[in-house]
Amino acid sequence: MKASMSSGLLLMLLLTALSATAGVFKTKEIPAIIVYDDAATELSSAREEAGQLWITAADLKRATRFEVKPQGVCRDELCFPLPKARREAFLHKDAGASWFNMTAFADLVHQPVAHDAALATWYFGLRSDQRQQLSSLQAPDFTLPDIHGKPHRLSDFRGKKVFLVTWASW
Amino acid sequence: MAQDTGGVKDAGPWIDPLQYVDAKPDLPKETIETAKKIGPLTYTVLIDEKHVVSKLFNMVNVPTGVWINEQGRIVRPNEVAFVDDRFKNFSGLDSAPYLNALKDWVEKGDKSAYVMSEDHLREKLTAQDPNLAQAAAEFGLGEQLYKAGHQTEAIAHFKEAQRLNPRSWNYKRQAYALTGEKEYGTTFRDEVKKIGGSKAYYPPPDLPTGSGPQQQP
Repeated sequence: MKASMSSGLLLMLLLTALSATAGVFKTKEIPAIIVYDDAATELSSAREEAGQLWITAADLKRATRFEVKPQGVCRDELCFPLPKARREAFLHKDAGASWFNMTAFADLVHQPVAHDAALATWYFGLRSDQRQQLSSLQAPDFTLPDIHGKPHRLSDFRGKKVFLVTWASW
Repeated sequence: MAQDTGGVKDAGPWIDPLQYVDAKPDLPKETIETAKKIGPLTYTVLIDEKHVVSKLFNMVNVPTGVWINEQGRIVRPNEVAFVDDRFKNFSGLDSAPYLNALKDWVEKGDKSAYVMSEDHLREKLTAQDPNLAQAAAEFGLGEQLYKAGHQTEAIAHFKEAQRLNPRSWNYKRQAYALTGEKEYGTTFRDEVKKIGGSKAYYPPPDLPTGSGPQQQP
């Protein structure tokens, strides 16, 4: 009897521990829009859990082109390692799906996030690696179209002086 | 670089004046003549719907000029860049000293007295500030919501962008242009009054006096 009680307790403890790591989201899935690199993607199911936006790994790739790999969260040559001790703050398995915490990732890469709760829209701004690095004094590169839609890249003008002027119709 | 959320629709007529007057034959005769005189622009003009250039270079107003040398290095950072006197009555700024400085750089390159020293440049370039990055994100969200037809919701984010980066006239003026001043709750004229009038609107370019080596401030 004593043995079976303690094994029952052990099982309960084990289950509690398991639910803390594998976990069950407390909130329902909601449709959301995320804007990444100034491109909007509609997601059929996202979760807002304690102020954090979680999206599926498939949506992460679709909306941002980033993927979770053993070495970190990567896109092309760019890779941001996840802190080993806090992996569960970024990754979560729930009902067979892999979820990724976009808000925690933005925080990790020093990326501002603007949120409109009523319209379930999240805007991810420039990561610190994309913002002007003052120490180098190099002009940040960009590509923009002309009136005919033809793209022009600032670095294509290397070898020439560039007088860059902004203006507006307003 | 046209900082215009409306893209070609808003910026296009200014880029191709001939096409613009062809489409609007009722324009005053002088406007048509000026457009014909200007003709198609001969330099590269780009359309920046997402205000990417303002975001990357931390610009807060138009016109803003940056000089970039042959190696892609900034040699004069953000400053008001008038190349004619169309707005002289408003700003009180004469374009001639700036144009002369520009010509001097074109001729002498990095040896020009108007090219800033590294120390001076670092002092001038706006430091990376989390508030400015957050402001840009709020503005970006506002643009996104506006384009999706949510004007009222967009205004709240435009205003938050201005709260975080109060120096940015780009945020204010683009927002007024999109939503209307009435809906926005203030006017350009009132906002200019608040800073002490139009002569305070553009800080003048920081040009060295005389033709000798550049003076440090």
